[in-house]
Amino acid sequence: MSLIRAWSSYKLAEVCIIAATCLTLTGCGGSEKKTATPEKVVIATSGSDTMVNLAQMWAEEYQKVNPAVTVEVAGGGSGVGIRDLIQGVITIANTSREMESAEREQAKQKTGKEPVEFVVAYDALAIYANMKNPIDTITMDDLAGIYGENGPIEKWSQLGIDMKAIEANDEIVRISRQNSSGTYAYFREHVLNKKDFKMGSKDMSGSKDVVELVTKTAGAIGYSGMGYHTDHVKFVKVAAKKGEPGYEPSLDNVLSKKYPLARSLLMFTLGQPDTTTKAYIDWILSPAGQEIVKKSGYVPVANVKK
Amino acid sequence: MNTVANNLSAGLFTATELTRKKLLTQKIVGIIFGLMVLLILIPLILLVGNLVIKAWPSLTWDFLTDVPKSGMRAGGIWPAFIGTFYLVVFSLLASAPIGILAGIYLNEYAGNNWFTRVVNLAVVNLAGVPSIVHSLFGVGAFVIFAGLGKSVLAASLTIAIMTLPVIIVATKEALSAVPMSFRVACWNVGASKWQTIRTIVLPNSISGILTGVILEVCRAAGETAPIMFTGAVFFKHVQRGDLFPYHPGEQCMALSYHLHTISTQVPGVPEPMLYATAVVLLGFVLVFNSFAVVLRVYMRNRKKW
Repeated sequence: MSLIRAWSSYKLAEVCIIAATCLTLTGCGGSEKKTATPEKVVIATSGSDTMVNLAQMWAEEYQKVNPAVTVEVAGGGSGVGIRDLIQGVITIANTSREMESAEREQAKQKTGKEPVEFVVAYDALAIYANMKNPIDTITMDDLAGIYGENGPIEKWSQLGIDMKAIEANDEIVRISRQNSSGTYAYFREHVLNKKDFKMGSKDMSGSKDVVELVTKTAGAIGYSGMGYHTDHVKFVKVAAKKGEPGYEPSLDNVLSKKYPLARSLLMFTLGQPDTTTKAYIDWILSPAGQEIVKKSGYVPVANVKK
Repeated sequence: MNTVANNLSAGLFTATELTRKKLLTQKIVGIIFGLMVLLILIPLILLVGNLVIKAWPSLTWDFLTDVPKSGMRAGGIWPAFIGTFYLVVFSLLASAPIGILAGIYLNEYAGNNWFTRVVNLAVVNLAGVPSIVHSLFGVGAFVIFAGLGKSVLAASLTIAIMTLPVIIVATKEALSAVPMSFRVACWNVGASKWQTIRTIVLPNSISGILTGVILEVCRAAGETAPIMFTGAVFFKHVQRGDLFPYHPGEQCMALSYHLHTISTQVPGVPEPMLYATAVVLLGFVLVFNSFAVVLRVYMRNRKKW
């Protein structure tokens, strides 16, 4: 008797397992059938954290334009995007920096194809400071002095800023990015002239993290994409040299090239893109796609109406 | 004689100094232990309560079944929810058979020799490997070497590898809870080893095994590390309420990773949405876990010893 009961409970478990397996198998079957229809195409993209929200908005909107194409968006940093592209696991790499010649070489060796570049938007690398901080303008040299190795600037008073007025520490809290970030690479190249960063900065792994920490820390300075500006943090104007006027990162100042830290946001494909991918990039460069660039707080590419 | 009568008139016992002291100690110890239970309950209640209260404005059915909108600052979390479900199911399918069969072998068949000891040691050590290391292994083994690319499959297999050791241990424990006398009795009526396992050992331990498997896979589903390099994406559009949106070879969104990205990378996400995502993740794990508990109770009622 007990053996029969034991058997039946075992049977029940077995039925459960088989049922679950069948369910999931039909599940896969169903999804496979769906993708087997030729219309559904997936474009995989990854890369820059600066661009990840912009890329997400494009993907979301493009779904309405062409429902047959699904765009996958992943972040990780420009370096991650380029590595993924070289490994052939994605179709488009989003980057906020140029591809280095070594990386181009590697891509050619591994895939036999030349990476093709598309400029899809402009961004200003903005310098952020806390709302309470009275600072208005900073020069490129001062920035290098704050962030660069052996840079002499450690305290706000060295920049003529009196932090006692807002009861904050005189020490400059330097906020930087992790080294796979394109923003980090851009800053190192254009502000530090390819020299190293000073040790002891707080390296955040996201564009938003930098702005958030600056918002919370009175004595902090940080750099991040201009699209991450909020009402609770302020832009510091940047002057190319001492004595020259400083400019805010704005649409006009970026397009007129007055703002010294403007850069291109790029997309890379391996070889010329196929029709579907090409259609997607064309749409991004169209007024509809560039409208999203503007809405996300970045600067549309110049050849499209402002 | 007198003293006995006195004792009787004062009740059967008069507590001596020593007894009272013991009783007092007992009380104090009980209170301390009880306080410890309260202490672990307080953070749990605060955590869940705080989450639910802050999430309340966003917690609607629509939030669960809708797709993210306006740059993930509005709408729902359906793609992430169904993505996590996919990951759980696929990793269950991969890890349950392998883990359970390996556990059965180690407990029922393997002799006590150096090989078994090495395997057991390896299993225990594997269980202690941090999830981010499993993730990197997943990138090397599944994404690149096996050529799966970043995909639901690669991510599920990474979760499966991560959960295997614990599933093996859970299986072994459930099996060794079946008294040896059951097996011996079965052998003595002429049943083979496999017949014994099939008809006696497994039916009596299956509840423990399944509970262990489900609990472990769900815990893993809540982790971000194993999937962030192997198949989770920042955003991917799926139809609202679509039950089969992902092909196993594609990447997917997942709740844990979604929570990570909207709280660290997307500016301007309304706070209730962040908390609601956390509540859904928690709820997901709890629902699966209670399924395991129900299964266990149901099967335990059929146990014979």
